[in-house]
Amino acid sequence: MPRQLTLGRRPFLITAGASALALSLAPRTRAAAPYRIGALNPVTGAGSPYGSGMQTAILLAADEVNQAGGAAGRTLEVIAEDTQTSPESAVLAAKKLIEVNRVDAILGTWSSGVSLAVMPLTDAADVILMNTSGAPSISTEDQRDLVWRFQATNDRFGAAFAEIAKREGVERPATMAFNNASGRGNADGFKKAWEAMGNEVVAAVVYEPDQPSYRSEVQQILAADPDLIVMGSYLPDTTIILREWYQMGGTNGWIIPGWAANPQLVENVGAELLDGVFSVDMVPNIEGEAFARLNESYQAKAGQPAGDNVYATMAYDMVISLALAIQHAGTDAGNLEIVQSIRPVANPEGTAVTGFAEGKKLLEQGEEINYEGASSRLDFDEYGDVTPDFGVSTLEDGKWVRQFVVEI
Amino acid sequence: MTLVYYVNLAMNGLLQGLVIALVALAINLVFAVGRFPNAATGDYITVGGYAGIGLQALGVGSPVLQGLGAMLASMAVAIAGYLLVFRRLFGRSMVAALIASIGIAFFVRSVLSFFVGHDPYVFKIPITRAIVVGGVRLIPTDLWLGAAALVCLSIALALLFFTPLGRQMRAVADNPELARASGIRARRVMLTLWVLVGAVCGVAGIVLGIRTVVAPEMGWDVLLPGFAAAILGGVGSPAGAVLAGVVLGIAQEISTPFVGFTYKIALSFVVLMVVLVVRPQGLFGTLERVR
Amino acid sequence: MDAYLVAVGIILGIYMLMTLGLNLHFGFTGMINFGQVGFFAIGAYTSALLALAGAPMAVAFAGAVLAAALAALPLGLMALRLRIEYLAIATLGFSEIVRVVIVSEEWLTKGVQGLGGIPRLFASLGVGGNAELAYLGLIALANLAAVLIIRRIVASPFGRLIQAVRDDEEALRALGKDPAGYKVRVFMLGAAFAGLAGAFYAHYLTYITPEQFVPLVTFYVWMAMIMGGAGRIPGAVAGTLILVLFLEGSRFLRDFVPGVSEVEMASLRLAAVGLALILFTLYRPQGLFGGYSK
Repeated sequence: MPRQLTLGRRPFLITAGASALALSLAPRTRAAAPYRIGALNPVTGAGSPYGSGMQTAILLAADEVNQAGGAAGRTLEVIAEDTQTSPESAVLAAKKLIEVNRVDAILGTWSSGVSLAVMPLTDAADVILMNTSGAPSISTEDQRDLVWRFQATNDRFGAAFAEIAKREGVERPATMAFNNASGRGNADGFKKAWEAMGNEVVAAVVYEPDQPSYRSEVQQILAADPDLIVMGSYLPDTTIILREWYQMGGTNGWIIPGWAANPQLVENVGAELLDGVFSVDMVPNIEGEAFARLNESYQAKAGQPAGDNVYATMAYDMVISLALAIQHAGTDAGNLEIVQSIRPVANPEGTAVTGFAEGKKLLEQGEEINYEGASSRLDFDEYGDVTPDFGVSTLEDGKWVRQFVVEI
Repeated sequence: MTLVYYVNLAMNGLLQGLVIALVALAINLVFAVGRFPNAATGDYITVGGYAGIGLQALGVGSPVLQGLGAMLASMAVAIAGYLLVFRRLFGRSMVAALIASIGIAFFVRSVLSFFVGHDPYVFKIPITRAIVVGGVRLIPTDLWLGAAALVCLSIALALLFFTPLGRQMRAVADNPELARASGIRARRVMLTLWVLVGAVCGVAGIVLGIRTVVAPEMGWDVLLPGFAAAILGGVGSPAGAVLAGVVLGIAQEISTPFVGFTYKIALSFVVLMVVLVVRPQGLFGTLERVR
Repeated sequence: MDAYLVAVGIILGIYMLMTLGLNLHFGFTGMINFGQVGFFAIGAYTSALLALAGAPMAVAFAGAVLAAALAALPLGLMALRLRIEYLAIATLGFSEIVRVVIVSEEWLTKGVQGLGGIPRLFASLGVGGNAELAYLGLIALANLAAVLIIRRIVASPFGRLIQAVRDDEEALRALGKDPAGYKVRVFMLGAAFAGLAGAFYAHYLTYITPEQFVPLVTFYVWMAMIMGGAGRIPGAVAGTLILVLFLEGSRFLRDFVPGVSEVEMASLRLAAVGLALILFTLYRPQGLFGGYSK
């Protein structure tokens, strides 16, 4: 569905012109420099189900911040680009954003390949990079704390899966992974954690993208007679695989990441198939206030609930937490100081807040805050990675309902 | 790995192979009569799939009607391609038509995704458990889809071999000058060709769409195996293409315990290249000089 | 702005090497190679792996060129016996086999996780700025060298034979010349250019994944060649320029046409590629510079 992205060079020129006029008429006070955000997202390519939603969310968040008077008086401007989920295209887009548009931060790179290729560029330019990628090397390559990851690493997801399996008394788990870094990461993360508990995985199947059928893959995994299958997958292939599995007579349970086991999946395969499926995502997500507020405006703009696109909720949180950090660090702070403020505003210690205006007010009063986001509670470890708890949901009356929370 | 396991794999492969056979037939027909490889075949299939989804969205629930809609849509695109592009390339080399067909493929796909986006769509077919007979899994939907594909293939081949129009098409395929000299009207033959190609692609689109999901790349993803099968079967032989498609489908699935799920997709190419080294005209094709 | 333009220039240089190679295949000998990205991938991974194993850059690049040329040998031999449309599919199959091997042999290529930390050239010059300019300079030199090599080949007796092969093989055989050896050598040379392009690519991005080496890249290069004019060197250069301007230019178009979302822009881009192929084939098959057309 075509979407209007209304922020770009022309409206910027208009607002710049208007502000210049206003400034020339106003008494001599120096206006705070705007903070430019490059929204670099996978609008096309493998990440395309999520990319445009991410851009919409970033724009909504920037609006929210600007409505509340900006971050430390600085207006947020957003310039949007498409990575095409390709490192080569992303590098060129990043260069344009950094060199031509002079952005201060790049938000929302999705695939690990893209984030890893863009990191050297943002690092050299002192630009903040916030991503939703899974690769471990993103944590370790980041030397100056400029890179922040809003998605739990694959290892963390895997560990959560293992906890769930243990809790459910699973004895014969198998893994099924989409053959890319993320899918494999989830399955391998589970295997690592599960074997560390002294257990065994009975089968591990890796399937290729874009195949007309996954019948044989399902057949192989069922032949090992598992009682649970852990998936590292996306919505289209999960749809196909679950249907094949059901038709082939499978009866085992499933653990599926929340970005694949979402309301759309229910529509695609029907509630009956999903009996015994655990959907796992970061908390607080659906129950939080930040999510509820985002969902309202997101649904209006994007035509689908925010719950269908967890990456969009992460993108929203990127803007809000960055804005709160700018607010905390002050108008004249540069990026290296702003990143020092991210943990203070997002990590525990401080009054819990769920929105920018709320947080800004408390910060102006000199209080400590703890921003609880729409995608997770946003507590960052020493690498700048989120350390969320995981919510586990099952289907009740055709809707995903949280049953319990797993802490790792 | 018991025998039953392999039989099940073969059954998977059979339905797969029937779809590949449809694609291979569509490619083979254009190869033989139109004298060029048509890279847009995949996107005719995609159009068919989306047409079916469109009908479903309008409230048409019957797969048969959706399939008919798919066939009509694919036919329309195929005929348009002929009238607007391929007809004007008559007399030019095969390469020109091939390049143009790639252009049509990209164009059709991008127009589709412009309007309907990149997210996949699902046919709302009731999902039922398989019937197990002696360990062999028979899935009802599969049986229907396989039957549909088989019927379509049979009708297409029957048309080619037993009707006057089909004979004319084969005459043009074998020897265009002689065909023209004996009074066969080119225009009518070409239109028949594209109608047939469209129909076959439409069926492939609906079968694929029901079996998996409808997405902008769905046809392009089966194009390569289809080409491999068409060449394996040999240009002069539509029945050969169909047979090769089925064989490739089954071979791919049966090979998975040996080569794994990643290499299996390369299998059709490896087979193709081996056959071409040993027998450059394909299994059933006629020997022609290089170029 | 400068750094961005330098980056675009580097990508341009990389694509141009591939187009020049393809030009040798199709423009001069009339061989349809739909697998150019396969040689690109072989070059990229070979150079990356050698460099990661500690080899000096010159060795890594040389390895890339050699590996691509060697991989082209069996295909070149096949090209002798196959109808050109079969060759087209066989080469396409080849590039897909290459990709699948890269995905599967994780012990070597890290598979879908991607190969990262590839050493950069001119690392002593730091990141960005001078290092990039030096890289651009090197790529420009490589392209210049490629053009010179091709021109010498075209003007030589060998080259005249090549074009004869393209136009009429029967006549050639009647003259007692056997085109086989020539065809194979040209195939290998064109592949070597693509392999070199791959090496430049890998050391520029420092991180490569199999997902980047898909048939679409081959078709972009084909488009560049057709638009510029197959068989003409200025055609290959101009065509690549158009291609890259088009791919990158559409980014800026968005800034001036705020109504078009990125999703639509991507569809429009692909539609434009398709339309360009159709229209050029119909109305200007010799491309802008009047190259080889049938």
